[in-house]
Amino acid sequence: MRFYRQTLIAAAALLCLLPAAARAQEFSALKRNVNAPPKPSGATPRTPDGHPDLTGVWNGLGDNLLGVPNQMANDGISVDSETSSHDIATGTQIATFPRNTTHGLNNEQAERAASLLRRVGSNRPVYKPQYWDMVKEFDQNANEEDPSNNCMPAGIPRAGIPSYIAQYPSYFIFIYPGQGGLIATQTMYRMIPADGRKHTPLEDLDGTYTGEAIAHWEGDTLVVDTWGFNSSTWFDQIGGYFHSENMHVTERFHRDGNTLTWTATVEDPDVLLEPWTTTPRVALLNPKPDAMLPESLPCSERDLTHTVTKEHH
Amino acid sequence: MPKKIILQISMIAAAALVCHSAVAQTQGKTGSGAEVKTAASGALRSAADALGMLRWSDIGAGASHLPAIDVVTTMEIFASGTVYNAGQPSTAEYHASLAYIPQAMRVEITRKGAADAHTIQTVRENYAWNESEIGGGLIPGKGTATPAMPAVKARLLQLWILPYGVVKAAIAAGDKTKISMENGATVLTFPLSGNLAGVTVTATLDSKNLVSKVETRPDNSALTNLATETEYSDYADHGEVLTDIKSPGHIVEKQGGKPLLDLQVKMVNANDPYLVFPVPPNVKSATTQAPVNSSGRK
Repeated sequence: MRFYRQTLIAAAALLCLLPAAARAQEFSALKRNVNAPPKPSGATPRTPDGHPDLTGVWNGLGDNLLGVPNQMANDGISVDSETSSHDIATGTQIATFPRNTTHGLNNEQAERAASLLRRVGSNRPVYKPQYWDMVKEFDQNANEEDPSNNCMPAGIPRAGIPSYIAQYPSYFIFIYPGQGGLIATQTMYRMIPADGRKHTPLEDLDGTYTGEAIAHWEGDTLVVDTWGFNSSTWFDQIGGYFHSENMHVTERFHRDGNTLTWTATVEDPDVLLEPWTTTPRVALLNPKPDAMLPESLPCSERDLTHTVTKEHH
Repeated sequence: MPKKIILQISMIAAAALVCHSAVAQTQGKTGSGAEVKTAASGALRSAADALGMLRWSDIGAGASHLPAIDVVTTMEIFASGTVYNAGQPSTAEYHASLAYIPQAMRVEITRKGAADAHTIQTVRENYAWNESEIGGGLIPGKGTATPAMPAVKARLLQLWILPYGVVKAAIAAGDKTKISMENGATVLTFPLSGNLAGVTVTATLDSKNLVSKVETRPDNSALTNLATETEYSDYADHGEVLTDIKSPGHIVEKQGGKPLLDLQVKMVNANDPYLVFPVPPNVKSATTQAPVNSSGRK
């Protein structure tokens, strides 16, 4: 009987892990020793009104943020071969060597290395000098300070590329499942009008996690203009990049075949010295016609009180 | 067979399948490392590895298997010790913020009991300036930035004689880097480039392949501020956030044959901290500056 109970507990645990395992398997399908996004393939479908059709499940390689290779790409590091990498923002070559050991890394080694690898890129927002120490302290104490570590919504633009886009003539639906890891946390959705309306004056808006977004087309690029945020989020996956309620975000989505390229420009004259634009990120369209979004696990923070070091993501 | 037994067997089989998958993935992380040959010199690779500069991680990487890359982009060094100004020693606090992409460094020194007690000397690529406070001159009313262009080379040199800079520059120099053995120690000799073209670096590695001594010699012997000798010892991970990057605990530097720094390192933030070096508008637009000496001070 005792064995039976243990087996049931093991089975229950297994069932809990299945969605994550399935997703990991989906992302692990691509074997690579570089982290550059694949070249687009196929035609770009268009809607009856002539715009590129962004509809689909965009959870392919490139912006899942679950893996160090993609996080490095998001941070602006392109690993080009076994012996070549460069910083995308400056073109600076980065010393690169094949691995030289058959020994695997233990968890501590892997986490410390990952923390560094996510921060190599030089494309960093430039804050006003009075905030430099604050950003550094937030990053250094991210275990406690990062809102996502406390199960708060990632917000915009930290959430990156939505995993699902539904496109209608006058509005869009974006869905961002809670994914764990660095963007973590709560599932978010956005209903974004594209009917020519104007923004509500900022002073009339109550700040929210996703703000007031309005979309329009510039040629074949969808531009999503958002303001009206609260100041409870960080605007990138790492770095302690806080913002004020005056943040204004301009996202650009461009579909090319089976790829979707996204950038976000952050303007926040209260805290930033100049606007900052993310390194372009690329997501692949899930090719399965019956592709679905897995249910997200609820975010329930239980680890923080047991944390004994400042080591972190 | 009773249904309960069938259920149990199914569950165990499923668990075993998942475990097998996890083990296979773990093996995949480690399997190919020994099969590939290093493309660069073993000595440079060993020096970089000794400092903890070359890293990889397979967390969440699935089947991806990226090579090791140099992770040292930004760093902060907090130290105390003796700083020499025109040959006069002062007990001082030393705080260096540095970046290799783009190449930049801000050195803040607070001398105890000295008249010129607090200095902030900054360099970024082709620009050098002195700040009245950290970030001075970027925002009206928030301190000042005084151009110090003639100090560009001497300040950039401080970046490239640090152990990480030595390894980076030696790798970047490619075939121009020569490796020799002197008294049983590995010695790297290579030229610097860019603003520091004409300066040759000779670096000695200790028995653990850590950079222990660095000498720089300019082609033009009159540029004494570019002739330095620096010794590094007592390496450890000095970080509050541990990174496995080793940094020297004791730094002794001479410039032009005279003592410049003798520092005991208190803490090193090597986790690529947020450090930025925007060039103040007045420094960018400066075309002529008042003469400054080798340390960039008027």
